[in-house]
Amino acid sequence: MTTGGTAVQAGTGVGADTQAPTPVGVAARTTGLRKVFRGTVAVDHLDLEVPAGSVLGMLGPNGSGKTTTIRMLLGLVRPTEGDVELLGQPMPDGAAHALPRVGALVEGPGFHPFLSGEDNLRRVAAAEPLLATKDVHRSVSDALDRVGLVAARHRKFRAYSLGMKQRLGLAAALLVPRELVVLDEPTNGLDPAGTREIRKVVAELHAAGTTVLVSSHLLSEVEATCTHVAVLHRGNVVAQGELAPLLEAGNPTLLVTTPARNEGVEALRDNRIGVRLVDEGLLVDLAGTSAPAVVETLVRSGVPVHEARRQRADLEELFARLTESAPDDTPEVDR
Amino acid sequence: MTAATLAVTPTVRSATSAPMGRLLRSELRWVFKRPRTWIALTLLGLVPVVIAIGTRVGGSGDRGGPGLIGDLIGNGFVLPIVALTVTLAVLLPLVGAMWSADALAGEAAHSTLRYLLVAPVGRVRLLVVKTFGVATAVLTAAVLISVVGMITGYLVFGSHELLTLSGTTLSFGDALARVAIAAGWVAVQVWAVCAVALAVSACTEHPMVVMAATLAGAVVLGVLANIPALDWLQPYLLTNSWASLTDVLRDPMPTGGLLHGLALAGSYALIGWSLALARVVTKDG
Repeated sequence: MTTGGTAVQAGTGVGADTQAPTPVGVAARTTGLRKVFRGTVAVDHLDLEVPAGSVLGMLGPNGSGKTTTIRMLLGLVRPTEGDVELLGQPMPDGAAHALPRVGALVEGPGFHPFLSGEDNLRRVAAAEPLLATKDVHRSVSDALDRVGLVAARHRKFRAYSLGMKQRLGLAAALLVPRELVVLDEPTNGLDPAGTREIRKVVAELHAAGTTVLVSSHLLSEVEATCTHVAVLHRGNVVAQGELAPLLEAGNPTLLVTTPARNEGVEALRDNRIGVRLVDEGLLVDLAGTSAPAVVETLVRSGVPVHEARRQRADLEELFARLTESAPDDTPEVDR
Repeated sequence: MTAATLAVTPTVRSATSAPMGRLLRSELRWVFKRPRTWIALTLLGLVPVVIAIGTRVGGSGDRGGPGLIGDLIGNGFVLPIVALTVTLAVLLPLVGAMWSADALAGEAAHSTLRYLLVAPVGRVRLLVVKTFGVATAVLTAAVLISVVGMITGYLVFGSHELLTLSGTTLSFGDALARVAIAAGWVAVQVWAVCAVALAVSACTEHPMVVMAATLAGAVVLGVLANIPALDWLQPYLLTNSWASLTDVLRDPMPTGGLLHGLALAGSYALIGWSLALARVVTKDG
């Protein structure tokens, strides 16, 4: 499902103008990205595209290369091979032009325990290129307000709970209006309420036209907040695109609730419609048929239908399918 | 948490880096808000007081005790110089190494270095800001020791003048200048140590490693200084030149040793800082 890394690279390789503007519509892009840490391949031939205005969920098990990819996107790590483009700037060399417009929460929040939440934020604000000195104070107050930490602003960071620390990290990422916000595992350590708040912030950012890149190993979280998804497996993108079509690509099913379960199964099987019994009722395979046809078949056979619900393949299924069928082409390097 | 709060647009600068003055102020606030900075400065400030009390209580009241300490009696202006000499031996390099350790390794350990880099603060600029913070802290320590030394010296031993080791007497103004020279010279020596420590600091995420490496380096220099076969090495050992500090108590002041010390410190600082820079611009954030 990935495009050939080498073919794409040929166009942007030797002698290519690194300042070439990104076509409108892409907030971040990697081509043929590869990173080797002391003989361990963390990321290999990774082609990722983050469409402008999207909320892209980067999904993958631990160690699949999510954080390494994000660190290369932000210019923190220089790729072994391949190109990174962030807001039209080549990274890491164009960092000064791209990063002021990017907010990031990577590998957990980073603050000093001996400073208060407010002092920590002021320190981050002082380093923000796009923030005028006279606005530092107000930006810090606004950011604290946004994540609900006003009451704890004078408390030392070391006394913050895990969730508060995470929120402060989010506040730092949103100190100035951004074009792109990168959130690496933003709900780590958050309680359900905190998770909802993060989702809300992401939705607000999306509504304001900000591109958001969220990495997560929690599938439900990505499904709830994202418009796009990229699935990483062993340092490779095994699928990417809009979330809805990707999910539709799975086998659609219909969940039918009926008191006459066995009769229902018989009726459907007589009509060559795939079905199996689940706790909630009948799970009907819609391949080769349609929901109305299934309901009609059941009703004609005298099976009462209380409810029929279309089941989208959930992300978990999709993910399992992708990571299981992915070709094992990641070169193992001797350690 | 409303869409409205997110949409508020502060005055947006169209810059690629934050103003340098703001970064430097922010760095100083960070250095001087640390409890350990205040603890270190307090302990260093106590050194001249302890020396004064010890000499006053332990001394017989006659002149002629061993070395500089004996020279203190009735000669208060010697106290800051004695205190600077004593602290330069171990305490100041140790505290300087601590500040250097916090500057890069400490920031890396708290994950804060990463966020400075993505702000972005350019890597060269980052090292400049960090160096400024460490250098200011060291200078503060040297000035503090001198000022506390002069005040304590006057209160405990009296005298507005400085009786030099050469037997002459310097006026209050001249004495003040001598103390200022000593403080500045000591600061430069410790800066050299800090520059090397910064190079180590740029290579690790563990502040302890920086402290250990700096102390080990000082010990190695001391050992080298005591190997007769390595006589030719003597002029290049930083710690060796530190004995020249007492020259400020002579009249006229011999400048050879002091200038050699400055040149040596400058070389160490240049090498250390270059290594730190090379590491900072290439390291993974």
